[in-house]
Amino acid sequence: MSEAIETTRNLARDRAVSSLAIQIGFRAGWFALTLLGAAFLVEVLLWASPGDPIDLLPNGEDLRPLLEREWGLDLPLAARFLRFVGRALQGDLGTSLTVHPGTPVRELVVDAWIRSMGLLVPSLLASLATALALAWWTAGTPSKLRGLVQVVSVAPVFLFAYLLVVGINDATFALLEGGYIDRPDWFALPDQPSWVRTALAIAAMAIGSGCLTELHAGSENELVQIRTSGFIDAVRARGGPAAPHVLPNLVAPLATLAAGRVGFLVGGLVVVEKVLLLNGAGALMWDACLKRDYPLAMGLAIAAAAIVALANLVGDLVRFSVDPRLRRRP
Amino acid sequence: MSRRPESVFLGAIPPALVLCAWGVSVLTDYDVVADVDPSRAGLGPSPALPFGTDHMGRDVFWRTVTASEAFVGPALVACAVALAIAVPLGALAGYSGGTTARAVRYLFDVVASVPRFVLVLLACMIYGSDPLVLATAAGASYAPGLGQAVYARLEALRGAEFVLAARAHGLSDARILGRHLLWVNCRRLVGRHLLYLFGFFLILETTLSYIGGFGIEEPQPSWGNMLAFEFGQHGMNPLATLVPAAAIWLTVLGTVIVADALAEPGDV
Amino acid sequence: MYDADYIAVDSLTVRAGEAVLVQDLSLRVNAGEIVALVGESGSGKTLTARSFLGLVRARPGVVAGHVTVAVGTELVRPHECTDDGDREAAFDRIRGRLVGYLPQDALGWLDPLWTIGRQVDEVVALASRGSSDRSVPGQQGAFHWLRLAGFSRPERIVSLYPHELSGGMAQRACIALALARGSRFLLADEPTTGLDPTVQQGILRQVLALKKRNIGILFITHDLRVVHRVADEVIVLKDGQVVDRFAGSSLGDARHPVTTRLLKATVRISGGPL
Repeated sequence: MSEAIETTRNLARDRAVSSLAIQIGFRAGWFALTLLGAAFLVEVLLWASPGDPIDLLPNGEDLRPLLEREWGLDLPLAARFLRFVGRALQGDLGTSLTVHPGTPVRELVVDAWIRSMGLLVPSLLASLATALALAWWTAGTPSKLRGLVQVVSVAPVFLFAYLLVVGINDATFALLEGGYIDRPDWFALPDQPSWVRTALAIAAMAIGSGCLTELHAGSENELVQIRTSGFIDAVRARGGPAAPHVLPNLVAPLATLAAGRVGFLVGGLVVVEKVLLLNGAGALMWDACLKRDYPLAMGLAIAAAAIVALANLVGDLVRFSVDPRLRRRP
Repeated sequence: MSRRPESVFLGAIPPALVLCAWGVSVLTDYDVVADVDPSRAGLGPSPALPFGTDHMGRDVFWRTVTASEAFVGPALVACAVALAIAVPLGALAGYSGGTTARAVRYLFDVVASVPRFVLVLLACMIYGSDPLVLATAAGASYAPGLGQAVYARLEALRGAEFVLAARAHGLSDARILGRHLLWVNCRRLVGRHLLYLFGFFLILETTLSYIGGFGIEEPQPSWGNMLAFEFGQHGMNPLATLVPAAAIWLTVLGTVIVADALAEPGDV
Repeated sequence: MYDADYIAVDSLTVRAGEAVLVQDLSLRVNAGEIVALVGESGSGKTLTARSFLGLVRARPGVVAGHVTVAVGTELVRPHECTDDGDREAAFDRIRGRLVGYLPQDALGWLDPLWTIGRQVDEVVALASRGSSDRSVPGQQGAFHWLRLAGFSRPERIVSLYPHELSGGMAQRACIALALARGSRFLLADEPTTGLDPTVQQGILRQVLALKKRNIGILFITHDLRVVHRVADEVIVLKDGQVVDRFAGSSLGDARHPVTTRLLKATVRISGGPL
């Protein structure tokens, strides 16, 4: 379940190049290459399907000539892909077909993902902070906490969101029936954006599908490793405070852990936005897939892959900037 | 979770029950349409109806049992798909090393960079949402994780003494790889990842069925759509909500506990 | 109040479960003296050193015996404290301030993310914190301690990171860190093990220089050759018990069988008489 950690470890084992700038360039190059590959994968997925994708569209036949020209169905796969990349680099990801007909995909994708960042980043930070706080408390001591965290955190994200909503709704309903409180604004989840739903979404994403477990177990392991290392022994033998040494050494492994979670969080985002009726890239992705809006769905998917790859890149960069051992002086 | 035998035993119970339910469901006939009986809507548990009824009068117990068909079969297919893709590729990379390994790792990284749920959604959009598509997409999205793990294990073992000794004895590469490396050294690793995949597939199927559109449609039961169905029905029969929720939670938990027990020291 | 500063341990016994790791060990190091603690690996040398700082990690461990540290006007006897908190506080007064520790793995002793200069500065800052209750001979900066540790050009070292140091340089950096709080005593745990012979010479020269500055040193090693050149007193340990004790200069005389064996082994490796 921690592929990202293993990949990053492998990358770190490879021989580092001499200066920091070249190292950053190398990582950025890998990022671009992976993104290209992801885009190709998504394209192949669509065009390699046995049936004719246009047939599946609700008004496919009417649009057939237009679509065939726009999607270049007469060209071979490689040429089609190159054309797609060429246009994408100029910012043209096609036009939405069914969800918002006529609107450029790029606009929709960027707007939606910016909104969703307001969910993704707080969830990652909340999860990391909670995991670290719990780990700081119990790392190294035999504690039931890790088991408890796992039992709670293992529930799928949608189930978490569902139970939270049902729980709150039923409790509020019971209180209303009993005449204890008046009807609150957010009751029965109306369609307007609400901080309650956002908060529930963040909670569900931060805890669910094992996110908290992975971060907690990872933080505990790193903390134990650092606390039992020689230089902390040294600090204790000198009688100094250990925290100024422990915390900076935690930054790099925590960055790697956090970056590894982003892929899962994006998946959780897609679910939780739909379940809690929030308006972001996840909900848009559902609409696009349900209504078979190929360009929009592909644009959103490629953006998702870009975000995951970017998170890994940022994680690598944090490691490089914090750890002098990874930067060789020329 | 501790790897005490008691916890593992307890953890194995829900998945075992699920498999039994699957067997029972496959062998028996539950008529999804005929079960509707509004006169007995929202009843609590009784000897005849162990979990009561939902708000359309359907037997919650039988729906829970039958819902296992929604994911067990396809989950096994997904495992087969992941196995078929990841193990040969991971083995190839781990055993040959060099450019082949780098190419395979690039392939894995590319597929892994697309979040699994997104990949599955795309596949459903393009190929329709029948269980086979779901299984293949889930298996393919899980393959990079499994492949990377196999690759890492084999790479660590590549220079190991017993490999050199086996070569010196004249054993063919295929036999070394197949028997000694993969079967003896990797089977726990592979088993563990496949268990995680099983749990992931359950989550996937129930999520899709809950949200609707893709996944299992009414009146066929799935724990996901049972939850969706009872949403908003205040307090008629709480078991109609709690039972599917508990079934999902406990099965995933059990699967993860058993899978964790297969972890070896030094595993990621 | 006292003739000389000293550190001592009386009847030290360390148990871990059923095993007795150190049995009834007593030793004393006076200021300006080098006492060598010699034995094979596992004979309890490191445990003895760590017990001076209350850092024995045997689990489940029982440590019995008395540690005494007398420096200037301070006399610290942690085992006379009945309360665990008081005892810990007593050891805190010893750690780094009165007695410094020089580890075996010098590189692992240094925080990989901090420059050497910053690490020494941190210890110097610690020294200035508690300076009101003790007569400190003026605050010395990082350069002073690095020079004391044997770096002729400390300005070149302060901006280096631990991974950029050689084994010998790392060991010297640890010496600076161990003494920078103004400790008068040093527990040196195998400081020359694993280093090149030329580098070993350098460290030994440094140790002798420290002795000249009246710093008392407990020198732990398994190599009797090294000890011959520096020690005033040699204590031989086997399986946690003291089996021999003699003055450093009289190494060549007939001894306890363990000592003789250690001597013979050393000679065989080096290929000639001491």
